Amino acid sequence: MPKPGQKPSWKNQYEAPREFNYAAKDTRRVSFKQGRHGGKSDHPRNKDWGETIKWHLEEEDIDMGGSSGNYRNNRFNKFNGRGGKKGKRGGSPAPLAKKRLMEGATNWYRVSVAHGEKYEKAYLQKMFLDNLNPLPFVPIQWQVMGLNVVFFVEGYKTAEKILSLDRQVQLPNGFKLFVRVQPSSPNVDVTPEMKEKMKLVMGKRYDANLKSLNLTQFHADPDLQDMFCALFKPIVFNNVLDIIVENIPQLEALNLDKNNICIISFMKKVVKTLTSLSILHMKDNKIRDITQLDPLVGLPIVELVLDGNPVCEKFKERTTYISEVRKRFPKCIKLDGIDLPPPISFDIQDEMKFPETKQTFLCNAEGQTIVRQFLEQYYQLYDQESREPLAQAYHDQATLSLTMSYPYGYDKNKTTAWLNWYNTDNRNIMRVEALDRRVALLKQGKQAVCQFLNDMPKTKHDIHSFTVDLTLFTPVMISLTITGMFKELKSGHKIPPLRHFFRTLVIVPAGAGFCILNDALHVTNANVEQTRRAFKTPTPAPVAPPTHQSPMVNPVNAVIPDDLKQRMVAQTCQETGMNPEWSIKCLEETQWNQMRAVEAFRNSHAQGLVPPDAFIGGAAPPI
Amino acid sequence: MEQTKEKIDLACRTAEEFTKLYYQTIDQRRHLMSRLYLDSGLLSWNGNGVTGNETIQKFVIELPPSEHTVQTLDAQPILDNVVNGQLTFMIQASGIVKYQQNSAKNFQQNFIITAQGDKWKIVSDCFRLQE
Repeated sequence: MPKPGQKPSWKNQYEAPREFNYAAKDTRRVSFKQGRHGGKSDHPRNKDWGETIKWHLEEEDIDMGGSSGNYRNNRFNKFNGRGGKKGKRGGSPAPLAKKRLMEGATNWYRVSVAHGEKYEKAYLQKMFLDNLNPLPFVPIQWQVMGLNVVFFVEGYKTAEKILSLDRQVQLPNGFKLFVRVQPSSPNVDVTPEMKEKMKLVMGKRYDANLKSLNLTQFHADPDLQDMFCALFKPIVFNNVLDIIVENIPQLEALNLDKNNICIISFMKKVVKTLTSLSILHMKDNKIRDITQLDPLVGLPIVELVLDGNPVCEKFKERTTYISEVRKRFPKCIKLDGIDLPPPISFDIQDEMKFPETKQTFLCNAEGQTIVRQFLEQYYQLYDQESREPLAQAYHDQATLSLTMSYPYGYDKNKTTAWLNWYNTDNRNIMRVEALDRRVALLKQGKQAVCQFLNDMPKTKHDIHSFTVDLTLFTPVMISLTITGMFKELKSGHKIPPLRHFFRTLVIVPAGAGFCILNDALHVTNANVEQTRRAFKTPTPAPVAPPTHQSPMVNPVNAVIPDDLKQRMVAQTCQETGMNPEWSIKCLEETQWNQMRAVEAFRNSHAQGLVPPDAFIGGAAPPI
Repeated sequence: MEQTKEKIDLACRTAEEFTKLYYQTIDQRRHLMSRLYLDSGLLSWNGNGVTGNETIQKFVIELPPSEHTVQTLDAQPILDNVVNGQLTFMIQASGIVKYQQNSAKNFQQNFIITAQGDKWKIVSDCFRLQE
């Protein structure tokens, strides 16, 4: 036995497993003479040396104690020397005391059943299940390694209980159960298939309205049960971050609660891309030191939760804690759910604010009705099998041209949504330099324009995705820009591609109506974020009074004359049966778009969300 | 009466020159932006309407620093009798824009420009980020 403080000899560090040497070394304990290797020497020349080595290597040296009383005492002394941990493992063990299990960082434990390969898997599983009852027994990555069976379980209690079965359970062939348990987690290899599943689960857990992603207890998600998908595994966390960067770089809030995460250093790579990530929850993880947050410096964090991490216990004074957090995230105003006094800053901001995107801009409110009617009719005809009726919408001398490009960061190899059709007529004058070609690609005259329109792939537009800018509205000329998404139908693609378009129309009065003089169309593919929103009618605007003020300042609202508003209110009352007060609410929420207001009403009413007192006479008409 | 070849040529060449100057100015010399617009010019930036060249300049200066890369460009002349014989073109551009440290995004933009004396001026400017 090595003296305390002296480095144990090789032999003691890598002692042969107990079934080889119990008889010789630890006669106080169970002897194991009948064992397969019973009585055999542990000399390296032993023919089972290879297996012995394997057994050693698998076990590492974490809980080598227990196989020899002497060694174990030495081990415990070592712990005492370090001051123990909350006294839990200190003290002299009684001679027959069970081994104590070290609490691991990840809450996962590796169980190794010696000679487990001799038994039926079903038998072993039932044996554990019965003995663990009422604790759960969910083994992960069950495998036979040499003679042993190895698997992983979650939770200290389960692991400790399994360890307590060591040498206590009689197996059918007369042997006792020999089991070792140590803190360790399963190896993970993130396959493309697994990544796809993770993506789906993340999509399910993403709230597009709040731009927040909730990954609380990610590995426990019911849809991830057939794999080991724990965020404390750097490879899993890394893949999750990659998915976020690729799909939701606009992310504002990330919840990583209860994931046993102890390494976050590689989050450094997202600091530059997740520029809006301002809320980070990491409650109940294993962050040990405040410096572990250093790689996150640069994220515009305003709200942070670290509660339940070992790091929090390190600070005696809360002020020190706050100051250490603020040092890294100067804009943090909420820590562990508690508001902090606002930091004092300078009047010039290093980041400039973007104006909010608005769906509609009308330079003249009078144009609204015309624009709406025109667009409704135009796209209704446009989405037909034959676009011939569109001819009536074009001027005799109309011109039309088309440009196309793939969106930024679009990997052409990964998709079948080629824009080949449009490429033929792509009048990108940065590429098309010859004048003749520039002239030829400009479709001129009603007939040429309509022929081309009719030849273009069939479409279905998502009206809800449209943005409209009315930038000119004079008695002689209207300029209107529309963007939005459409599905391209029957163009030979397996899945109808989702396109984004940007189209400007110069419209002139013609007779009693209007017609298009210039038409410039740009087509590209919808990006990932757009794809998520496409053809999902936005949740109907709640008819109930809004609980929060919409950040969108309504450009239309400001310019709609009062008499027009009154007319719209009256018409909405008539169509919905709601009283004027509620009709106004509804119109305000749909930015005084009467059609949308009525539609929103119908949706809400169909779901029974409109209260009876919203209606004239206090009673709802039948749905 | 069709658009003449000469006019189409002029529209395209003007568009090339114009966009070069426009994106250079908005990326590097925003204090000169007002000179690109008619006094009554109009900008709709992601649905935010701004009228008047000085107001537009003020609005643009407030935007985060930008870096535009144009990828496609297209131009059409607008029929003479609609614009009272005043040479007027419609220009449509698309490309990538990067604001400060934000990641790059696609944008599309349409201009209607008109010849006022010997200077081209923007009548209307419609900018949309693809988002």
